[in-house]
Amino acid sequence: MSDLINRRLLLQSGLLGTALTALPLPAYSQARASIMIVGGGFGGATAARTLKRLLPNAQITLVETNPIFTSCPFSNLVIGGERDLSAQQFRYEALEREGITVANVPATDVDADGKNITLDGDSVYAYDRLILAPGIDIRWNVIEGYDADAANILPHAWKAGPQTLLLRRQLEALDPGQNVVMTVPAAPYRCPPGPYERASLIAHYLKAQKPGSKLIILDAKDQFSKMALFQEAWDAHYSDQIEWRGASEDGAVRRVDTGTQTVFSDFESLSARVINVIPPQKAGWIADRAGVADATGWCPIDPLSFASRLQPDIHVIGDATIAAPMPKSAFSANLQAKVCAIAVARDLAGQTPRPTTLANTCYSYTTPDEAISIAGVYSNAASQLQSVTGAGGVSPPNADKAVRTAEAEQAAHWFETITKEAFG
Amino acid sequence: MRNRVSAIAILPLSLLGLAACGGANAPSGSNTPTPNAAHLGPGATLALACSGCHSELNGAIASLSAYSETQLQDTLARYKTETDGTTVMHRLARGYSDEDIALVSAYLGHEETAP
Repeated sequence: MSDLINRRLLLQSGLLGTALTALPLPAYSQARASIMIVGGGFGGATAARTLKRLLPNAQITLVETNPIFTSCPFSNLVIGGERDLSAQQFRYEALEREGITVANVPATDVDADGKNITLDGDSVYAYDRLILAPGIDIRWNVIEGYDADAANILPHAWKAGPQTLLLRRQLEALDPGQNVVMTVPAAPYRCPPGPYERASLIAHYLKAQKPGSKLIILDAKDQFSKMALFQEAWDAHYSDQIEWRGASEDGAVRRVDTGTQTVFSDFESLSARVINVIPPQKAGWIADRAGVADATGWCPIDPLSFASRLQPDIHVIGDATIAAPMPKSAFSANLQAKVCAIAVARDLAGQTPRPTTLANTCYSYTTPDEAISIAGVYSNAASQLQSVTGAGGVSPPNADKAVRTAEAEQAAHWFETITKEAFG
Repeated sequence: MRNRVSAIAILPLSLLGLAACGGANAPSGSNTPTPNAAHLGPGATLALACSGCHSELNGAIASLSAYSETQLQDTLARYKTETDGTTVMHRLARGYSDEDIALVSAYLGHEETAP
Protein backbone atom coordinates (compact mmCIF):
# COMPACT_ATOMS: atom_id res chain seq x y z
CA MET A 1 0.00 0.00 0.00
CA SER A 2 1.43 3.36 -0.91
CA ASP A 3 1.47 6.05 1.70
CA LEU A 4 -0.94 7.95 -0.52
CA ILE A 5 -3.55 5.24 -0.27
CA ASN A 6 -2.74 4.95 3.39
CA ARG A 7 -3.53 8.61 3.76
CA ARG A 8 -6.79 8.21 1.86
CA LEU A 9 -7.84 5.42 4.20
CA LEU A 10 -7.06 7.66 7.12
CA LEU A 11 -9.32 10.33 5.68
CA GLN A 12 -12.08 7.85 5.06
CA SER A 13 -11.91 6.52 8.55
CA GLY A 14 -11.87 9.97 10.06
CA LEU A 15 -8.65 9.34 11.92
CA LEU A 16 -6.54 11.98 10.29
CA GLY A 17 -6.16 14.93 12.58
CA THR A 18 -6.63 12.82 15.66
CA ALA A 19 -4.04 10.31 16.68
CA LEU A 20 -2.73 7.50 14.64
CA THR A 21 -2.60 4.81 17.25
CA ALA A 22 -3.67 2.00 15.00
CA LEU A 23 -4.05 0.82 11.51
CA PRO A 24 -6.81 2.82 9.86
CA LEU A 25 -9.61 0.33 9.40
CA PRO A 26 -12.44 1.60 7.22
CA ALA A 27 -15.57 1.87 9.31
CA TYR A 28 -17.35 -0.72 7.23
CA SER A 29 -14.83 -3.42 7.92
CA GLN A 30 -14.54 -5.67 10.94
CA ALA A 31 -13.48 -3.01 13.32
CA ARG A 32 -14.53 -5.29 16.16
CA ALA A 33 -13.03 -8.42 14.66
CA SER A 34 -12.42 -11.36 16.95
CA ILE A 35 -8.83 -12.50 16.81
CA MET A 36 -7.77 -15.61 18.70
CA ILE A 37 -4.12 -16.33 19.40
CA VAL A 38 -3.09 -19.72 20.75
CA GLY A 39 0.17 -19.90 22.68
CA GLY A 40 1.56 -17.30 25.08
CA GLY A 41 5.27 -17.43 24.36
CA PHE A 42 7.45 -14.86 22.64
CA GLY A 43 5.42 -15.18 19.44
CA GLY A 44 1.86 -15.32 20.78
CA ALA A 45 2.25 -12.63 23.43
CA THR A 46 3.95 -10.27 20.99
CA ALA A 47 1.24 -10.90 18.38
CA ALA A 48 -1.50 -10.14 20.91
CA ARG A 49 0.09 -6.87 22.04
CA THR A 50 0.89 -5.73 18.50
CA LEU A 51 -2.62 -6.45 17.27
CA LYS A 52 -4.15 -4.61 20.20
CA ARG A 53 -2.14 -1.56 19.19
CA LEU A 54 -3.07 -1.91 15.55
CA LEU A 55 -6.73 -2.73 16.16
CA PRO A 56 -7.78 -1.17 19.46
CA ASN A 57 -11.41 -2.10 18.90
CA ALA A 58 -10.80 -5.73 18.08
CA GLN A 59 -11.47 -8.50 20.56
CA ILE A 60 -8.03 -10.03 21.09
CA THR A 61 -7.94 -13.32 23.02
CA LEU A 62 -4.73 -15.05 24.02
CA VAL A 63 -5.27 -18.72 24.83
CA GLU A 64 -2.49 -20.11 27.00
CA THR A 65 -2.86 -22.96 29.49
CA ASN A 66 -0.18 -21.75 31.86
CA PRO A 67 -0.77 -18.48 33.75
CA ILE A 68 2.99 -18.10 34.11
CA PHE A 69 5.33 -18.16 31.13
CA THR A 70 8.81 -19.59 31.70
CA SER A 71 11.36 -18.48 29.13
CA CYS A 72 13.67 -20.96 27.46
CA PRO A 73 16.17 -18.25 26.51
CA PHE A 74 18.52 -17.80 29.48
CA SER A 75 17.26 -21.03 31.12
CA ASN A 76 20.65 -22.61 30.43
CA LEU A 77 22.03 -20.16 32.99
CA VAL A 78 19.58 -21.65 35.50
CA ILE A 79 20.83 -25.14 34.66
CA GLY A 80 24.39 -23.93 35.13
CA GLY A 81 23.53 -22.51 38.56
CA GLU A 82 24.00 -18.88 37.55
CA ARG A 83 20.39 -17.70 37.61
CA ASP A 84 17.17 -18.24 39.49
CA LEU A 85 14.22 -19.71 37.61
CA SER A 86 12.03 -16.85 38.83
CA ALA A 87 14.06 -14.50 36.61
CA GLN A 88 12.71 -16.53 33.69
CA GLN A 89 9.06 -16.16 34.59
CA PHE A 90 6.50 -13.70 33.28
CA ARG A 91 2.79 -13.21 33.79
CA TYR A 92 0.20 -11.80 31.42
CA GLU A 93 -1.09 -8.98 33.62
CA ALA A 94 0.26 -6.27 31.32
CA LEU A 95 -1.62 -7.80 28.41
CA GLU A 96 -4.83 -7.89 30.42
CA ARG A 97 -4.37 -4.26 31.42
CA GLU A 98 -4.15 -3.42 27.72
CA GLY A 99 -7.52 -5.02 27.10
CA ILE A 100 -6.37 -8.40 25.82
CA THR A 101 -8.42 -11.32 27.12
CA VAL A 102 -6.12 -14.01 28.49
CA ALA A 103 -7.77 -17.41 28.73
CA ASN A 104 -5.76 -19.86 30.84
CA VAL A 105 -7.34 -22.94 29.32
CA PRO A 106 -6.14 -25.41 26.73
CA ALA A 107 -7.17 -25.04 23.09
CA THR A 108 -8.44 -28.50 22.27
CA ASP A 109 -9.73 -28.30 18.71
CA VAL A 110 -9.85 -26.03 15.67
CA ASP A 111 -12.41 -26.14 12.89
CA ALA A 112 -10.62 -24.27 10.12
CA ASP A 113 -13.55 -24.36 7.69
CA GLY A 114 -16.07 -23.20 10.29
CA LYS A 115 -13.61 -20.67 11.75
CA ASN A 116 -14.16 -21.73 15.31
CA ILE A 117 -11.98 -22.99 18.12
CA THR A 118 -12.77 -25.26 21.04
CA LEU A 119 -11.35 -24.34 24.40
CA ASP A 120 -11.08 -26.71 27.33
CA GLY A 121 -12.91 -29.50 25.52
CA ASP A 122 -16.41 -28.04 25.31
CA SER A 123 -16.54 -24.29 24.73
CA VAL A 124 -16.68 -23.34 21.05
CA TYR A 125 -15.82 -19.81 19.98
CA ALA A 126 -16.05 -18.28 16.52
CA TYR A 127 -13.12 -16.18 15.34
CA ASP A 128 -12.44 -13.89 12.42
CA ARG A 129 -8.71 -14.60 12.43
CA LEU A 130 -6.69 -17.27 14.21
CA ILE A 131 -2.97 -17.13 14.93
CA LEU A 132 -1.28 -20.26 16.23
CA ALA A 133 1.95 -19.84 18.16
CA PRO A 134 2.07 -23.29 19.71
CA GLY A 135 5.82 -23.72 20.06
CA ILE A 136 7.09 -27.26 20.12
CA ASP A 137 6.05 -30.65 21.36
CA ILE A 138 8.35 -33.57 21.98
CA ARG A 139 8.24 -36.51 19.58
CA TRP A 140 8.00 -39.22 22.20
CA ASN A 141 9.40 -42.68 21.47
CA VAL A 142 11.29 -41.64 18.34
CA ILE A 143 14.23 -42.38 20.60
CA GLU A 144 13.02 -45.79 21.75
CA GLY A 145 12.04 -45.73 25.41
CA TYR A 146 11.96 -41.95 25.66
CA ASP A 147 8.38 -41.10 26.65
CA ALA A 148 6.81 -38.63 29.06
CA ASP A 149 7.58 -40.87 32.04
CA ALA A 150 11.19 -41.27 30.97
CA ALA A 151 11.50 -37.48 30.88
CA ASN A 152 10.95 -37.45 34.64
CA ILE A 153 14.16 -39.46 35.02
CA LEU A 154 16.16 -38.28 32.01
CA PRO A 155 15.03 -34.65 31.65
CA HIS A 156 14.90 -32.88 28.31
CA ALA A 157 14.60 -29.39 29.80
CA TRP A 158 13.70 -28.19 26.29
CA LYS A 159 10.54 -26.60 27.63
CA ALA A 160 11.55 -24.38 30.53
CA GLY A 161 10.03 -24.84 33.98
CA PRO A 162 9.96 -27.99 36.13
CA GLN A 163 12.20 -29.79 33.64
CA THR A 164 14.81 -27.03 34.01
CA LEU A 165 14.81 -27.42 37.78
CA LEU A 166 14.93 -31.22 37.57
CA LEU A 167 18.09 -31.13 35.47
CA ARG A 168 19.59 -28.52 37.78
CA ARG A 169 18.90 -30.63 40.88
CA GLN A 170 20.36 -33.71 39.24
CA LEU A 171 23.56 -31.81 38.46
CA GLU A 172 23.77 -30.57 42.05
CA ALA A 173 23.37 -34.12 43.35
CA LEU A 174 26.16 -35.45 41.15
CA ASP A 175 29.16 -36.88 42.99
CA PRO A 176 32.48 -35.46 41.80
CA GLY A 177 33.89 -37.72 39.12
CA GLN A 178 30.49 -38.91 37.91
CA ASN A 179 29.67 -38.06 34.31
CA VAL A 180 26.84 -36.30 32.52
CA VAL A 181 25.52 -37.27 29.09
CA MET A 182 23.63 -34.96 26.73
CA THR A 183 21.99 -36.20 23.55
CA VAL A 184 21.29 -33.75 20.72
CA PRO A 185 18.90 -34.32 17.80
CA ALA A 186 19.24 -33.66 14.10
CA ALA A 187 17.83 -30.37 12.77
CA PRO A 188 15.28 -28.87 12.81
CA TYR A 189 14.69 -28.25 16.48
CA ARG A 190 14.05 -25.30 18.80
CA CYS A 191 17.10 -23.05 19.31
CA PRO A 192 19.86 -24.54 17.13
CA PRO A 193 22.78 -23.34 19.30
CA GLY A 194 20.94 -24.05 22.57
CA PRO A 195 22.43 -27.49 23.29
CA TYR A 196 25.96 -26.15 22.96
CA GLU A 197 25.32 -23.14 25.17
CA ARG A 198 23.89 -25.56 27.72
CA ALA A 199 26.93 -27.81 27.37
CA SER A 200 29.19 -24.82 27.99
CA LEU A 201 27.38 -23.77 31.15
CA ILE A 202 27.12 -27.33 32.51
CA ALA A 203 30.84 -27.72 31.88
CA HIS A 204 31.48 -24.46 33.69
CA TYR A 205 29.60 -25.81 36.70
CA LEU A 206 31.36 -29.17 36.62
CA LYS A 207 34.75 -27.52 36.38
CA ALA A 208 34.05 -25.41 39.45
CA GLN A 209 32.04 -27.82 41.61
CA LYS A 210 32.51 -31.42 40.46
CA PRO A 211 36.20 -32.15 39.91
CA GLY A 212 36.75 -35.14 37.67
CA SER A 213 33.25 -35.02 36.20
CA LYS A 214 32.82 -34.79 32.45
CA LEU A 215 30.02 -33.98 29.97
CA ILE A 216 29.77 -36.29 26.99
CA ILE A 217 27.67 -34.91 24.12
CA LEU A 218 26.20 -37.48 21.74
CA ASP A 219 25.09 -35.57 18.65
CA ALA A 220 22.97 -36.82 15.74
CA LYS A 221 24.81 -34.47 13.37
CA ASP A 222 28.38 -33.59 12.44
CA GLN A 223 28.02 -29.82 12.17
CA PHE A 224 26.25 -27.41 14.48
CA SER A 225 25.44 -23.74 14.93
CA LYS A 226 28.45 -21.54 15.85
CA MET A 227 30.49 -24.77 15.93
CA ALA A 228 33.94 -23.23 15.51
CA LEU A 229 33.23 -20.61 18.17
CA PHE A 230 31.90 -23.12 20.68
CA GLN A 231 34.85 -25.42 20.07
CA GLU A 232 37.21 -22.49 20.53
CA ALA A 233 35.58 -21.78 23.91
CA TRP A 234 35.58 -25.44 24.89
CA ASP A 235 39.29 -25.76 24.05
CA ALA A 236 40.02 -22.64 26.09
CA HIS A 237 37.88 -23.43 29.12
CA TYR A 238 36.58 -26.98 29.20
CA SER A 239 39.13 -29.29 27.57
CA ASP A 240 38.87 -31.59 30.61
CA GLN A 241 35.08 -31.32 30.87
CA ILE A 242 33.55 -31.65 27.39
CA GLU A 243 33.76 -34.53 24.97
CA TRP A 244 31.66 -34.16 21.79
CA ARG A 245 30.85 -37.05 19.44
CA GLY A 246 29.09 -36.30 16.16
CA ALA A 247 27.03 -38.57 13.94
CA SER A 248 30.07 -40.02 12.19
CA GLU A 249 31.44 -41.04 15.60
CA ASP A 250 28.27 -42.98 16.38
CA GLY A 251 26.77 -40.00 18.21
CA ALA A 252 23.13 -40.55 17.17
CA VAL A 253 21.22 -42.04 20.11
CA ARG A 254 18.53 -44.59 19.19
CA ARG A 255 17.31 -45.91 22.53
CA VAL A 256 17.34 -45.10 26.24
CA ASP A 257 16.87 -47.26 29.31
CA THR A 258 15.77 -45.38 32.38
CA GLY A 259 16.34 -48.31 34.78
CA THR A 260 20.06 -48.53 34.11
CA GLN A 261 20.46 -44.85 33.10
CA THR A 262 21.84 -45.88 29.72
CA VAL A 263 21.69 -44.50 26.19
CA PHE A 264 22.29 -46.64 23.13
CA SER A 265 23.64 -45.58 19.74
CA ASP A 266 24.03 -47.94 16.78
CA PHE A 267 27.13 -49.65 18.12
CA GLU A 268 27.67 -48.50 21.67
CA SER A 269 25.99 -47.82 24.97
CA LEU A 270 26.83 -45.29 27.64
CA SER A 271 25.60 -45.03 31.23
CA ALA A 272 25.71 -41.89 33.34
CA ARG A 273 24.33 -40.51 36.59
CA VAL A 274 22.73 -37.56 34.76
CA ILE A 275 21.37 -37.84 31.23
CA ASN A 276 19.89 -34.84 29.43
CA VAL A 277 17.98 -36.11 26.41
CA ILE A 278 17.23 -33.30 23.97
CA PRO A 279 14.74 -35.22 21.84
CA PRO A 280 13.38 -34.76 18.32
CA GLN A 281 10.54 -32.24 18.18
CA LYS A 282 7.54 -31.12 16.17
CA ALA A 283 5.06 -28.23 16.14
CA GLY A 284 2.89 -27.94 19.23
CA TRP A 285 -0.04 -30.35 19.32
CA ILE A 286 -2.80 -27.95 18.31
CA ALA A 287 -1.07 -27.35 14.95
CA ASP A 288 -1.76 -30.93 13.98
CA ARG A 289 -5.31 -30.65 15.22
CA ALA A 290 -5.87 -27.51 13.12
CA GLY A 291 -4.45 -29.16 10.02
CA VAL A 292 -1.57 -26.71 9.61
CA ALA A 293 1.29 -29.19 10.21
CA ASP A 294 2.56 -31.27 7.28
CA ALA A 295 4.18 -34.72 7.24
CA THR A 296 7.36 -33.28 8.75
CA GLY A 297 5.43 -32.29 11.88
CA TRP A 298 6.13 -28.60 11.22
CA CYS A 299 3.98 -25.89 9.62
CA PRO A 300 4.59 -24.54 6.11
CA ILE A 301 3.76 -20.83 5.85
CA ASP A 302 3.60 -18.00 3.34
CA PRO A 303 6.44 -15.79 4.61
CA LEU A 304 4.69 -12.57 3.56
CA SER A 305 1.87 -13.01 6.07
CA PHE A 306 2.70 -16.20 7.99
CA ALA A 307 -0.58 -17.63 6.70
CA SER A 308 -0.58 -21.41 6.71
CA ARG A 309 0.06 -23.04 3.33
CA LEU A 310 -2.42 -25.75 4.34
CA GLN A 311 -5.17 -23.64 5.92
CA PRO A 312 -4.78 -20.12 4.51
CA ASP A 313 -7.19 -18.59 7.02
CA ILE A 314 -4.95 -19.62 9.92
CA HIS A 315 -1.62 -17.95 10.63
CA VAL A 316 1.29 -19.75 12.27
CA ILE A 317 4.33 -18.10 13.84
CA GLY A 318 7.41 -19.06 15.83
CA ASP A 319 9.11 -22.39 16.46
CA ALA A 320 6.21 -24.35 14.92
CA THR A 321 6.81 -22.93 11.44
CA ILE A 322 8.97 -24.05 8.56
CA ALA A 323 10.76 -20.74 8.16
CA ALA A 324 14.32 -21.87 7.49
CA PRO A 325 16.79 -20.29 6.98
CA MET A 326 15.21 -18.20 9.75
CA PRO A 327 15.90 -20.27 12.89
CA LYS A 328 13.50 -21.39 15.62
CA SER A 329 14.40 -18.68 18.12
CA ALA A 330 12.65 -16.25 20.44
CA PHE A 331 13.89 -13.37 18.31
CA SER A 332 12.39 -14.96 15.20
CA ALA A 333 9.07 -15.67 16.93
CA ASN A 334 8.84 -12.11 18.23
CA LEU A 335 9.55 -10.57 14.81
CA GLN A 336 7.34 -13.01 12.92
CA ALA A 337 4.56 -12.07 15.35
CA LYS A 338 4.88 -8.39 14.47
CA VAL A 339 5.03 -9.03 10.72
CA CYS A 340 2.05 -11.38 11.01
CA ALA A 341 0.08 -8.88 13.09
CA ILE A 342 0.51 -6.19 10.45
CA ALA A 343 -0.51 -8.66 7.73
CA VAL A 344 -3.64 -9.61 9.71
CA ALA A 345 -4.56 -5.97 10.29
CA ARG A 346 -4.04 -5.15 6.63
CA ASP A 347 -6.04 -8.18 5.60
CA LEU A 348 -8.95 -7.04 7.75
CA ALA A 349 -8.77 -3.72 5.91
CA GLY A 350 -8.79 -5.48 2.54
CA GLN A 351 -5.09 -4.91 1.88
CA THR A 352 -2.55 -7.48 0.77
CA PRO A 353 0.66 -8.05 2.74
CA ARG A 354 3.79 -6.29 1.60
CA PRO A 355 7.30 -7.74 1.32
CA THR A 356 9.85 -6.67 3.91
CA THR A 357 13.16 -7.67 5.42
CA LEU A 358 13.34 -9.78 8.58
CA ALA A 359 16.29 -10.51 10.81
CA ASN A 360 17.42 -12.71 13.64
CA THR A 361 20.00 -12.45 16.39
CA CYS A 362 20.87 -15.22 18.85
CA TYR A 363 23.42 -14.86 21.61
CA SER A 364 24.88 -17.90 23.38
CA TYR A 365 26.85 -17.85 26.61
CA THR A 366 30.10 -19.81 26.62
CA THR A 367 30.90 -18.83 30.20
CA PRO A 368 28.69 -16.90 32.62
CA ASP A 369 30.28 -13.63 31.43
CA GLU A 370 31.20 -14.33 27.81
CA ALA A 371 28.93 -14.84 24.83
CA ILE A 372 29.01 -15.37 21.07
CA SER A 373 26.33 -14.54 18.53
CA ILE A 374 24.85 -15.42 15.19
CA ALA A 375 22.81 -13.01 13.08
CA GLY A 376 20.87 -13.33 9.84
CA VAL A 377 18.86 -11.12 7.50
CA TYR A 378 16.00 -12.55 5.46
CA SER A 379 13.77 -11.46 2.61
CA ASN A 380 10.16 -12.64 2.52
CA ALA A 381 9.54 -11.48 -1.05
CA ALA A 382 9.77 -14.97 -2.59
CA SER A 383 7.72 -18.06 -1.79
CA GLN A 384 10.10 -18.97 1.02
CA LEU A 385 12.23 -16.92 3.37
CA GLN A 386 15.67 -16.36 1.88
CA SER A 387 18.91 -15.24 3.47
CA VAL A 388 20.11 -11.90 2.14
CA THR A 389 23.45 -12.55 0.45
CA GLY A 390 26.44 -11.02 2.16
CA ALA A 391 24.69 -10.39 5.45
CA GLY A 392 24.63 -12.26 8.73
CA GLY A 393 27.18 -14.57 10.27
CA VAL A 394 28.80 -15.29 13.60
CA SER A 395 31.05 -13.42 16.00
CA PRO A 396 34.69 -13.14 14.93
CA PRO A 397 36.88 -16.12 15.88
CA ASN A 398 39.77 -15.75 18.31
CA ALA A 399 38.44 -12.41 19.47
CA ASP A 400 39.63 -10.44 22.47
CA LYS A 401 37.84 -11.26 25.69
CA ALA A 402 36.34 -7.76 25.56
CA VAL A 403 34.38 -8.76 22.45
CA ARG A 404 32.98 -11.80 24.26
CA THR A 405 32.10 -9.92 27.44
CA ALA A 406 30.46 -7.14 25.38
CA GLU A 407 28.23 -9.72 23.70
CA ALA A 408 27.36 -11.22 27.10
CA GLU A 409 26.19 -7.78 28.23
CA GLN A 410 24.27 -7.28 25.00
CA ALA A 411 22.64 -10.68 25.49
CA ALA A 412 21.40 -9.67 28.94
CA HIS A 413 20.07 -6.42 27.55
CA TRP A 414 18.36 -8.27 24.70
CA PHE A 415 16.60 -10.55 27.17
CA GLU A 416 15.34 -7.60 29.15
CA THR A 417 14.10 -5.82 26.03
CA ILE A 418 12.43 -8.71 24.27
CA THR A 419 10.65 -9.97 27.38
CA LYS A 420 9.40 -6.44 27.98
CA GLU A 421 8.12 -6.18 24.43
CA ALA A 422 6.36 -9.54 24.70
CA PHE A 423 5.08 -9.48 28.29
CA GLY A 424 5.25 -5.84 29.41
CA MET B 1 43.62 -7.67 13.58
CA ARG B 2 39.90 -7.42 13.84
CA ASN B 3 37.92 -7.58 17.02
CA ARG B 4 37.71 -3.90 17.63
CA VAL B 5 34.74 -3.35 19.87
CA SER B 6 32.57 -0.72 18.31
CA ALA B 7 32.85 2.58 20.08
CA ILE B 8 29.11 2.92 20.21
CA ALA B 9 28.26 -0.47 21.59
CA ILE B 10 25.53 -1.85 19.42
CA LEU B 11 23.71 0.68 17.47
CA PRO B 12 21.14 2.62 19.05
CA LEU B 13 18.24 1.47 17.04
CA SER B 14 15.44 1.97 19.40
CA LEU B 15 11.87 2.44 19.66
CA LEU B 16 10.69 0.07 17.31
CA GLY B 17 8.03 0.99 15.14
CA LEU B 18 4.91 0.32 17.04
CA ALA B 19 6.17 1.67 20.29
CA ALA B 20 5.85 5.04 18.68
CA CYS B 21 2.17 4.54 18.18
CA GLY B 22 1.17 5.41 21.68
CA GLY B 23 -0.26 3.36 24.50
CA ALA B 24 -2.49 0.50 23.60
CA ASN B 25 -5.46 1.92 25.37
CA ALA B 26 -4.87 5.49 24.45
CA PRO B 27 -8.12 6.88 23.17
CA SER B 28 -7.97 8.65 19.85
CA GLY B 29 -6.93 12.20 20.31
CA SER B 30 -5.00 11.75 23.54
CA ASN B 31 -1.34 12.56 23.95
CA THR B 32 -0.17 10.42 21.11
CA PRO B 33 2.15 11.21 18.24
CA THR B 34 1.22 13.39 15.35
CA PRO B 35 -0.48 11.39 12.63
CA ASN B 36 2.09 10.19 10.21
CA ALA B 37 1.38 7.87 7.35
CA ALA B 38 4.94 6.60 7.67
CA HIS B 39 3.83 4.66 10.74
CA LEU B 40 2.42 2.08 8.41
CA GLY B 41 4.90 2.46 5.60
CA PRO B 42 7.87 0.31 4.65
CA GLY B 43 10.13 2.09 7.14
CA ALA B 44 7.86 1.09 10.00
CA THR B 45 7.79 -2.49 8.85
CA LEU B 46 11.56 -2.67 8.47
CA ALA B 47 11.88 -1.22 11.95
CA LEU B 48 9.98 -4.15 13.43
CA ALA B 49 13.30 -5.99 13.44
CA CYS B 50 14.88 -3.39 15.73
CA SER B 51 12.58 -3.44 18.74
CA GLY B 52 13.45 -6.95 19.87
CA CYS B 53 16.77 -5.50 21.08
CA HIS B 54 16.37 -1.71 21.16
CA SER B 55 13.95 -0.05 23.54
CA GLU B 56 13.90 3.18 25.48
CA LEU B 57 16.21 1.38 27.91
CA ASN B 58 19.77 2.57 27.34
CA GLY B 59 22.60 0.22 28.20
CA ALA B 60 24.72 -2.42 26.52
CA ILE B 61 22.36 -1.98 23.58
CA ALA B 62 21.69 1.67 22.94
CA SER B 63 18.30 3.28 22.98
CA LEU B 64 17.54 4.81 19.62
CA SER B 65 15.19 7.41 20.90
CA ALA B 66 17.78 10.16 21.12
CA TYR B 67 18.97 9.66 17.57
CA SER B 68 18.05 11.89 14.68
CA GLU B 69 17.35 10.55 11.25
CA THR B 70 20.77 11.69 10.04
CA GLN B 71 22.57 10.12 13.00
CA LEU B 72 20.82 6.83 12.46
CA GLN B 73 21.51 6.82 8.76
CA ASP B 74 25.20 7.62 9.27
CA THR B 75 25.58 5.01 11.99
CA LEU B 76 23.86 2.27 10.02
CA ALA B 77 25.91 3.12 6.94
CA ARG B 78 29.07 2.86 9.03
CA TYR B 79 28.03 -0.53 10.36
CA LYS B 80 27.38 -1.66 6.84
CA THR B 81 30.80 -0.67 5.54
CA GLU B 82 33.12 -1.30 8.50
CA THR B 83 35.00 -4.46 7.71
CA ASP B 84 36.53 -5.04 11.14
CA GLY B 85 33.37 -4.71 13.22
CA THR B 86 32.55 -7.26 15.88
CA THR B 87 28.91 -6.64 16.73
CA VAL B 88 25.73 -8.18 15.39
CA MET B 89 24.85 -4.78 13.90
CA HIS B 90 27.80 -5.03 11.50
CA ARG B 91 26.49 -8.37 10.26
CA LEU B 92 22.86 -7.21 10.16
CA ALA B 93 23.42 -3.84 8.46
CA ARG B 94 24.98 -5.56 5.45
CA GLY B 95 21.56 -7.04 4.71
CA TYR B 96 19.91 -3.69 4.13
CA SER B 97 20.07 -1.51 1.02
CA ASP B 98 20.90 2.18 1.26
CA GLU B 99 17.22 2.82 0.55
CA ASP B 100 16.18 0.52 3.42
CA ILE B 101 18.55 2.36 5.74
CA ALA B 102 17.10 5.70 4.64
CA LEU B 103 13.55 4.48 5.22
CA VAL B 104 14.17 2.99 8.64
CA SER B 105 16.18 6.02 9.73
CA ALA B 106 13.42 8.36 8.64
CA TYR B 107 10.94 6.30 10.60
CA LEU B 108 12.95 5.93 13.79
CA GLY B 109 14.76 9.26 13.78
CA HIS B 110 13.47 11.39 16.60
CA GLU B 111 12.20 14.26 14.50
CA GLU B 112 9.61 11.91 13.10
CA THR B 113 8.56 9.95 16.14
CA ALA B 114 9.09 12.04 19.25
CA PRO B 115 5.85 12.44 21.16
